[in-house]
Amino acid sequence: MAVPVEDRRRISARLVIIQTGVITVFAALAICFWVLQVIQHEDYLRLADSNYQRTLALRAPRGVLFDRNGKVLVENRDSYTISIIRENTKDLDRTIRMASSVLRIDRAELQQEVNRHRREPSYRPIVIVEDATLDQVAAVDARQYELPELQIDEVPTRKYPADGLAAHLFGYVGEADEAQVRDIGVPPGAIVGKHGVEKVYNALLMGADGEKNVVVNSVGREIRVLDRQPPVEGRRVQLTIDYDLQKAAEDGFRHAGFNGAALIMDPRTGEVLVHASLPAYDPNKFQETYASLLSDTKLRPLINRVLQGTYSPGSTFKIVVAAAAMEEGVATPDTRIHCSGGATFFGRYTRCHLKGGHGSVDMRHALEKSCNVYFYTLGNRLGVDKIYKWAEKLGLTGRTGIDLPNEQPSLVPNTEWKKKTTGEPWYPGETISVAIGQGQVSVTPASLAVMIATVANNGKRVTPRVVKAVDEGKGWVTMKPPAAADATQFKPDTFRALVEGLWMVVNAAGTGGRGRVEGRDVSGKTGTAQVISNEGKARARGTDRDLRDHGWFVFFAPRDNPEIAGVIFGEHNLHGYLGAPIAKHVIETYFAKKEGKPLPELKPKGPDAAPTPPVEDPDSPPAIEPTAVAEALPVAGPEVAQ
Amino acid sequence: MFERRLYHHVDWAMLGAILMICVIGLAQIYSTTYVDGVGASSIFYTQIYGILLGVVALVVALSFDYRTLADKSHYLYLGIIALLIYVLLFGVVRGGSRRWIDLGPLNLQPSEFAKATLALVLAKFFGESRRGTVTRADLVIAGAIAAVPLFIIYLQPDLGTAVTLLPVLFAVAFVAGMPMRIVGIVAVVAVLAAPIAWNFALQDYQKERISTFLNPSEDARGAGYQQIQARITVGSGGWDGKNFRGGTQGQLRFLPVAHNDFIFSAFAEEQGFIGVIVALGLYLFVILRSIESARLSKDRTGAYLVLGVLASFTFQVIYNITMSAGLAPVKGLTLPLMSYGGSSMIATLAGFGLILNVRMRRFTN
Repeated sequence: MAVPVEDRRRISARLVIIQTGVITVFAALAICFWVLQVIQHEDYLRLADSNYQRTLALRAPRGVLFDRNGKVLVENRDSYTISIIRENTKDLDRTIRMASSVLRIDRAELQQEVNRHRREPSYRPIVIVEDATLDQVAAVDARQYELPELQIDEVPTRKYPADGLAAHLFGYVGEADEAQVRDIGVPPGAIVGKHGVEKVYNALLMGADGEKNVVVNSVGREIRVLDRQPPVEGRRVQLTIDYDLQKAAEDGFRHAGFNGAALIMDPRTGEVLVHASLPAYDPNKFQETYASLLSDTKLRPLINRVLQGTYSPGSTFKIVVAAAAMEEGVATPDTRIHCSGGATFFGRYTRCHLKGGHGSVDMRHALEKSCNVYFYTLGNRLGVDKIYKWAEKLGLTGRTGIDLPNEQPSLVPNTEWKKKTTGEPWYPGETISVAIGQGQVSVTPASLAVMIATVANNGKRVTPRVVKAVDEGKGWVTMKPPAAADATQFKPDTFRALVEGLWMVVNAAGTGGRGRVEGRDVSGKTGTAQVISNEGKARARGTDRDLRDHGWFVFFAPRDNPEIAGVIFGEHNLHGYLGAPIAKHVIETYFAKKEGKPLPELKPKGPDAAPTPPVEDPDSPPAIEPTAVAEALPVAGPEVAQ
Repeated sequence: MFERRLYHHVDWAMLGAILMICVIGLAQIYSTTYVDGVGASSIFYTQIYGILLGVVALVVALSFDYRTLADKSHYLYLGIIALLIYVLLFGVVRGGSRRWIDLGPLNLQPSEFAKATLALVLAKFFGESRRGTVTRADLVIAGAIAAVPLFIIYLQPDLGTAVTLLPVLFAVAFVAGMPMRIVGIVAVVAVLAAPIAWNFALQDYQKERISTFLNPSEDARGAGYQQIQARITVGSGGWDGKNFRGGTQGQLRFLPVAHNDFIFSAFAEEQGFIGVIVALGLYLFVILRSIESARLSKDRTGAYLVLGVLASFTFQVIYNITMSAGLAPVKGLTLPLMSYGGSSMIATLAGFGLILNVRMRRFTN
């Protein structure tokens, strides 16, 4: 059955067509592979490498914070974060839905968090739970095949002392916002200090994150580590804070039963021993509680009262007026002024707090008794600009320059200032209320602390600071103390008289008797900061605003060669002298510690403890204020904290 | 029936090339499915059995005179139709389609055997035609013969395998002398049929695959993923590849089914352009040797049979390799002789048994 010739010819011809076709197609395929594998090789190799190689950040532990005696204040602990890696999910909505139910977190918030990072590369984990609970970790771990896009990482996290101790001093850390990414050059998602010491010393504390290059498979599982650059822990930082004194101060507030602020330092060096602002918050739970802390507009726990609260200094300002009067020569320590319970200035009768008057008093006794008429008279003789000049020299104007963020400036008015801000000239009558620390005088607790420390330091003003030493890897290096902010030479008599008067406040018949410590010669001055004028008080009655006055107690000890000086600010505690026991407790603790004695303990208030008997408070603002003064008094929002 | 002198007419060169391709495929399967700390996977061993059984099938297909087989091909054809219907009713479902008969340790996929059977039936049909040309009636009958298994396979559903039957019909009819006018019409109809098939014959997932082919980045995580990864896999291989077991795309599974549909991509990644040229050369050699066998065939039936068997093989090789380079829509079409799959290996080697058969018996009566 041989094939006929024409058939064979036809078959051959068509086989040639097929043959040619096949050869052409194979040649084309070879060319395609040539293009892909030889010409475009580099591009595809890069793509293949980026498929399986991942660089993961290893978070560096932040530097440990110590107190001045080497006690650990802030350290690190291990915590777990849970993140989503979008690259490993096919359906992000499903992931978010399941993650929110597995982790018991709000879906809308989760969605928002994921959206916030949507422009980042999809292999970069988006942290959805910081410091996850063990339940959450277990829940994710149990579903690792169902939800391979969820990842658990162990990361070092800040551990702050319990009870929110010195919370405002430490500040807190968080994910860098866009401004920080731009300004301090950290990668997005880096953990940086947001406030307090954490923020100011962030560059030292944050260390350097490490990284590891790993091989991952197509579902993102880590197969092996290619190389690893370990993180470098942040530098250790030693604060000037004394843990025991800090605790004594905060215990003192709690014992006394009011909120407030304290800044206590070594007047010789400016080293801050206590920095307290109450109410505080727990920085360990900052993320979870942030919203409720922020919305608490009544107590405003996020406000650092030491630096951000500005208040009338009240009678503590009399120290400034006394110093100014002696330096300007309008009075000597022995200048006597007769107080008959009031005096007339610019046609208006202004009362002293003591109805019958103090009689004839000299400078020391005027301070001791806080005689208003005496300081009205000095203020009137000085004029506001000279008061301002010496307030500035004592450190009560502007910012103290402490190494902490968000400090508000303190304000002592002068004629130039008033012209600039209101366009009106200064009326001499306004000086009368400035002379007793009312009117527009508005200062932070920190600046009052600097003022009293300057007095304690014989006029040498130091800049307060909270960092004592840093360890940049070669052992502790003590920070150079800042140069004295002001070293104006005062007349020797000025401070002698001031110190004697302030000693009498505490140790004689003055208002600071509750701060007395046997053998320590505590010296100080109480003061009351009006929250609102007496008329305003009547008007605002019935609102839920707390209108009770604030109390001040500035102090130093011992009288000769003081080692400790500072301020206790009691928020709405009515009387300055109620802050004195807190100072007393801190001073006792200071000396007990110095001499190696057991630290004093506060006696719990027994249920039978009699309520504090009402004491005539000489610092209370004069009952009937002339309208001129009332006008000059701004309806004070004392905590003008931005 | 296997006379000694026939032994000398076996195309040893082509057989050698076929077995070399099988070994290359086997090595690539070993590389891609190797599990660290465990060793070669069971897939590797299954493939060895597949090749051994395939060689047996090849020898069997070689043993009987192809003319006898062609004469009896209508029984084979009916048998295959019966098996296909059986599969449709009682087959094992895997991945959403019913393609397999469960034979205990081995699953048989009858549709693979439909190709060679169809080649036999069509070779017989056109070979017996004494008219010297192909009439329209012939084409209609041949079309009907091909349509029955094609439709059943399509119902499984397994569009990929079903489509490979069309080249069988077309190649046999073409060589048998189908007028060039009709060849042209077929080509035009094929072009016109594409949109109709798009609307009626394709499943949504199939449409998705094709539309992603046209614009892969539109769906880089879904259907376009495989195509992009295939291109990355091939391109990253470069001149000489990333070495045996050194491919990252295949080893870390960025490329799916790297031992099966995308085995050529994984091979291109590890062996580079040089390996690709060697493999393409082997395939081309096998195809050209087969065409040579058709030319040498003693009778028309032999020539048609060779072309029928070769057509589905060539179609699948070209389509799969194009797809492996990310240059064609992703379809479940394996690469004959290299991809993992017992039925495919056995059926393909049996088909080459038939081709060798035609050449071997070119002098016998």
